[in-house]
Formats: sequence, C-alpha cells, structure tokens
Amino acid sequence: MTTTAIKYEPDLSKPLLHEIMERSGQNLPACYQCRRCAAGCPVGVEAGVTPDRLIRMILLGDREEAMNNLLVWKCLSCFTCGARCPNNIQTARITETLKQMAKEAHTEPLLPKVAAFHNAFMKATSHFGRFNEVEFMGIYELENTASAVKRGNLKIITDEIKASSRLGLAMIRKRRLHFRLARVRNLAEVKALYKKSRQQTDR
Amino acid sequence: MEIAYYPGCTLHASSELYDIQSKLVFRKLGVELKEIEDWNCCGATSAEKTDEFLSIALPARNLGIADASGFSEMVIPCSSCYSRTLVSQKKLAGDPALLESINAELTQKVSGKIKIRSILELLVPRAQSGLIGEKIIKKLEGLKPACYYGCLMTRFPCDMEVPDNVENPQGMEIVCSALGAKPLDWAYKTDCCGAAASVNDAEMSLSLMSKIMKDAVARGANCFVSTCPMCQFNLDAYQEEIREKYGIAERLPVYFITELVGIAMGLSPHEMQIDRHFTEATGLLKELELI
Ligand code: SF4
Ligand code: SF4
Repeated sequence: MTTTAIKYEPDLSKPLLHEIMERSGQNLPACYQCRRCAAGCPVGVEAGVTPDRLIRMILLGDREEAMNNLLVWKCLSCFTCGARCPNNIQTARITETLKQMAKEAHTEPLLPKVAAFHNAFMKATSHFGRFNEVEFMGIYELENTASAVKRGNLKIITDEIKASSRLGLAMIRKRRLHFRLARVRNLAEVKALYKKSRQQTDR
Repeated sequence: MEIAYYPGCTLHASSELYDIQSKLVFRKLGVELKEIEDWNCCGATSAEKTDEFLSIALPARNLGIADASGFSEMVIPCSSCYSRTLVSQKKLAGDPALLESINAELTQKVSGKIKIRSILELLVPRAQSGLIGEKIIKKLEGLKPACYYGCLMTRFPCDMEVPDNVENPQGMEIVCSALGAKPLDWAYKTDCCGAAASVNDAEMSLSLMSKIMKDAVARGANCFVSTCPMCQFNLDAYQEEIREKYGIAERLPVYFITELVGIAMGLSPHEMQIDRHFTEATGLLKELELI
C-alpha cells in the first residue's frame, strides 16, 4: 500500500524510469532533491506528495505508487515546479504521462472526476471539432454519475447536481451559457487527426 | 492594420464578452482582428493531459490555417489557447517527422511562419508608445486593480521565450497605469486558480482562489484584472462561494483588461457588456464616476 519505498530495485526501476523519461521528455535523474518545486507546488501539501517525492518514487521503481498518488491526479499543470527547477524538470509532464499510463493499465483513477472531466472534454470536442459547454456537461455528468453509481456513492451525484445547477442557472442569467452548436465545417480533417491519434496508441 | 485572430471556443461561448470587447477595443486602436477561417478547438489542458499527439495536432491545424492566411501575426487572447498553440508551433519546429505526419492530414500545411501574440503583446507596446494614452477620454482614477496573470501567460511546459518577467510580470500593470489606474503590488499574481479543478476538484480550487482573494483584499485592491478567460470565469463565478466558505466580506469585480481599456477610451458599459459578470461589476465604475 502506501509504504514509502526506500529499497532500490534496479530491475523494477530501470524500465519504469526509462518509460517515463521517454514519454514525458523529462530528465528525472538530474533531480538533486533541492525541493524548490515542493515549495511552489499549490497542491503538493494537500496531496501528501510533492513533485520531488514523485520523482524519487519513480527513481526507486515504485510503479503502483507512482500512478496511484494524489499528486498525479491533483496536479493542475500550473508549471510552477518546472519554472523554478534548477534542472529544468517539468513535473506536470510527468503527472500527465502517469495519468496516461494509468489509463492504459486500466487502473481505476484515484480521482475519477478528474479523469471523467478530461475524457469528456476530448469526447465532446471530437464530435464537432469545437467545445460545446452543454454537450460537454452532458457527457461529463454521465461519466461521473456512472462512476459514482459503480462505487455506490449517491451523495456525490446529488452534490454534483446541486453544484452544476447553481452554476448553470447563474450562467443563463448572465447570458454566458450558449445553446447554439459550434462546429468546424471541415470536420473530416479534425476527425482524421483523432483517427491518427488512435492508430498511434493502438500500435 | 489587420491581424489574424484565434478566439478559441471560450471566446465564442461563456466568455463571449471578451471577444466583443477585444474587437471593439482594437478597432479603436486601429487594429482589425480577422478571425481565421474554420478553426478548431486547441484541445486545451485536456489534450495535454490525455493525448500527446492531439495536444500538438489540434493546434497545428489552426497554425496551418493561420500560416496560409497571409497575415504575419495572430493574436490569441485566451491564455490556454495561447500556450497550447505556442507549444505546438515550437514542438513542430523541432520535430520534422511529426510535422510531416501532421501536415499529411491537413489541407493547409503548417509552415511555421505565423508569429503568435498574447493580448498583452499587442497592448503593452501601444501603452508604452503613448497611443493608448492619446485615446483616453476618462482616466480610471480610483481604480486599484490586482493584476492577475495566472499560470499560462508566463509559464510553459517547455523552454519558451517569455515576453515578460516570469515570476513578476508587469504587462498588465503597464497598461493599467497608462489608463490612469493604480495597480497594486501583490503576491498572488501568477498563482493558480485551479482552472478546470473548479469543476472536477472543487474544494482544492476554492481553497486556491480564497488565498488569491484574501491577498488582493489585504493589499487594498478594489478589483481584479485578468487576460485569461478561465481565471476570469473562476474568480468571477465562484466568488460568492469563496466568500461564504472562507468568510471574506469584500466583493471584487473581475474585469478583463479589454473592458478597462474600452471604458477609458469612452466605449459604453453596454458595448463592453459589463452586465455579464457574475460578481457585480458596474457598481464600482459608477461609484468612481467612470461611467
Ligand atoms: S526543483 Fe527540480 S531538482 Fe529540485 S527537487 Fe524539484 S525536481 Fe528535483
Ligand atoms: S505543475 Fe503540478 S506538480 Fe508542478 S507545481 Fe503545478 S500542481 Fe504542482
């Protein structure tokens, strides 16, 4: 579970490290644990894992823990860690990679709403090439509700309805919610890009 | 002069007021914003987090359209679209194989020649040259904005030449000062509002916004100014919740930089769509006799 790995396992560490370095484009071994990233990270304290700790985890080869910690799911891609790192390490690129790895490994995301949000965004924009809020909210709430039902947590659903209706009503009042459908005319071209992306991940 | 313009999805939807303001304000400054043809969603943070290929390929299609448009510059007011488009352009410049693979799918190919500009890169030189000063009808005296940049104006996921100070940017302060406002020195100008976390990790995002709000209030700000539609939306739409939850008495209107420039240049509150804020935003301007 969440024991801190202090044992170095080269057999476990090398493949994990190389995979993450390759995919994220970040030079993890350059980290000398100065923790400037930790000082600036807006979510590290609450997540219980700061960027330096995540990097250490990966260097030690703890694959499970690397994908299943709150920093990976709470990271806001604010790029503060990377802007301040003396070794130019962008932890946001690492958390992005780990989220993608978790998805490929069919691991249940630690924060299902975060995963549902980004999946719904990509699904919504794939349909018409542009982001339509109403369509997005529909897809997002469906994904969200399905995952909450699966976990038997109905309170999440009522809270969600309350929050989104409060916001939705305010948006209508301020003429900030739009009901006409935005779409790209040359949709085939956008769809071809989505298709190419799928071919690449299937490979 | 004319310049290419990528509004992105938000400026055609929940932040339409920013689109309207930008076009009117730049017209007054002698710049016509020409929306590029048939653009698509840049993929925003979601593509970046879930799909490496699309995070480059989606903005690339827009870059191809912009490259073929004949303009030399394109302005992108939304910080997220701005950041993602710049990252895509930079990545493609250094990765010929990826460029070829993406160009194979596009009718209008990426050539890499369009220069991407943030809205501040257009406003700051015009404030410094005195052009904005000349056009001002009403100095924004009494306005004490906390200029809020958020993350994506100055921090990028890869090496990038940033046209402002990364930790303590000054672009908005330069513009606000040219308008006669008194921007304040404060500590949270480049902190994160949580972005999409306001929807998918609400507690976290509200707590971040409460810190931003508290510092602005403590420094004596009477409003926020922003260039990012996401930051603007978050601080504006969730302010009531932040105030309730964190016991903050003050309310601070959250203006886009464009509406302040517009009001100072004599555009009407109606033209600037100031009634479309969640946190009431006309009262302060009336109180200060600016409208
Ligand atoms: S700032 Fe960079 S070098 Fe320092 S601990 Fe963080 S990742 Fe490692
Ligand atoms: S990008 Fe993620 S890990 Fe880095 S400082 Fe921001 S929230 Fe923390």
